Amino acid sequence: MPELLTLTNVAIERAGRCLLSRLSCSMNAGEVVVILGPNGAGKSSLLLALAGLIPSTGETSLLGKDLHHYSRHELSRLIAWQGELPPTEFGLTVQQRLNLAVTEGGGALKSVAKTMDIQALLQRPLGELSSGERQRTELAALMLRDAPIWLLDEPTAHLDLKHQIQCINMMKKQRSQGRAIITVLHDIQQAMAVADHLILIDGVGGAEYGEAGLLFNSGRLSQLFDAPVVTQGDLLVPDYGKRM
Amino acid sequence: MMLRWSALFFTLCASLLLALSIGEQWINPFSVTDSFEQMILWDLRFPRLLTAFAVGGLLALAGAWFQVLLGNPLAEPYVLGVAGSASAGAVTGLMLIPDSAWVMSLGAFIGAWIGILFVMFFSHLGSNRMLLAGVVLAAFWSAVLALLLALLPEQGLFRAFAWMMGDLSHSDIPVTVLLSAWVIALVCGLMLSRALDLLLLGERHAEALGVDVKKLRQRLLLLASAVTAIAVTAAGTIGFIGLVIPHLMRLLFGSLHRAVLPASAIGGGLLLVLADSAARTVIAPAELPVGILTAIIGVPVFLFLLLRRS
Repeated sequence: MPELLTLTNVAIERAGRCLLSRLSCSMNAGEVVVILGPNGAGKSSLLLALAGLIPSTGETSLLGKDLHHYSRHELSRLIAWQGELPPTEFGLTVQQRLNLAVTEGGGALKSVAKTMDIQALLQRPLGELSSGERQRTELAALMLRDAPIWLLDEPTAHLDLKHQIQCINMMKKQRSQGRAIITVLHDIQQAMAVADHLILIDGVGGAEYGEAGLLFNSGRLSQLFDAPVVTQGDLLVPDYGKRM
Repeated sequence: MMLRWSALFFTLCASLLLALSIGEQWINPFSVTDSFEQMILWDLRFPRLLTAFAVGGLLALAGAWFQVLLGNPLAEPYVLGVAGSASAGAVTGLMLIPDSAWVMSLGAFIGAWIGILFVMFFSHLGSNRMLLAGVVLAAFWSAVLALLLALLPEQGLFRAFAWMMGDLSHSDIPVTVLLSAWVIALVCGLMLSRALDLLLLGERHAEALGVDVKKLRQRLLLLASAVTAIAVTAAGTIGFIGLVIPHLMRLLFGSLHRAVLPASAIGGGLLLVLADSAARTVIAPAELPVGILTAIIGVPVFLFLLLRRS
């Protein structure tokens, strides 16, 4: 059985700028890989490249076959991508948006809507929702798909605390059901709660892949973000300084 | 929803009957008294109302497609300059052979396709850049048109302006061709409806959900431009139908294209039939250019929609 996803010397260049060079890693079903790095480092671009939505060089192997040899339709069955919020100009309702995501074998719309706390929003146009409600709709759309790999770009962005926790728990549940998840997160606590492996991207082309337990240390993260990160018990937290 | 579809069909039937009856002389189609009335009804009014229906439907379909293609609800069939190039072609035809409506139509058709070829050159660009390219092309064709109008002999000016404001009285494309184009365009649109729905989520989302966006955009651009070219050739440039009708139909039937496209094809036809009926009768026996009436109806409707949305 080939590994689900294997990257060998993957490099990404956008607008003449090298975002990533020579990233190698692999992942199996039931794993969560968290991508960390400063703004503009290329985290979202890596997800787009893994979804086949932007070009990359090197070798990306999906179920033993080169990613670039899959058709768009085949890729959409294997990889579900959650990125920017969709536009709202054309008046799609939440239910219509969710129906567009449904694939065979995915979750049932009503139960997914309940899980994401959006049952009451189903008939409302996307344009009338808050950013948090739209983000929950996007996460629900993801759950309606039967893809074995999820690529999530800041899934907890816009969410309140309750729904952030719900989102992290949902990722854990999906992992336990065999889903492979690669996600960009900015919150170190959330990353620590869910990551099996980390990809650290430094923004000048360098990337490091390894077990979460090894890479989660205050020195490495302080260096990555060029910001103070301190250890408090078992946790790593940003050092915001003393209360003024 | 069934009620709304029924209302649309009822309004369509009533409008077709009204368009058949109304004119310089009122004729009841169910009690035609002589062969003259029969000739007016079936040889003049009936083909003209079918032409209006088909052209209106084609413009509304093209508008719906351009709005999705460019990701911009303000897009309409003429947004990429096809109307300007068609008008320049029509005026060129008028300059070459002044009294031939046929040559004018041929000029419009050739002009429209030259405009489309220009647009296709920019089809690989993203929506915003393509829109920007279209606006610049439209400005270019406006300048060409202004130059041609400046060179046009005075007696041709009225004909040129009438055509540019929309004119269903000189259509040289057979009604059967226009109705076939209406059916083919609608069927093609319905075949693409799922992909169009996914495109409403943005190009990235559509692609992630399995749509070959590049191919879809090319097909859509070609289809919408071809439909616009046929409509412009048949009736000149008629504004607002392609802008207003898709919005109105989204409000009535929701955003999914399996409903928006047939509703727009019918609604656009209906609006142009009504506008043309008014254009034929308001200052009878003379006629107003139908584009004036679609604008007079279209502008307040569109402003109302804008205010309602905000």
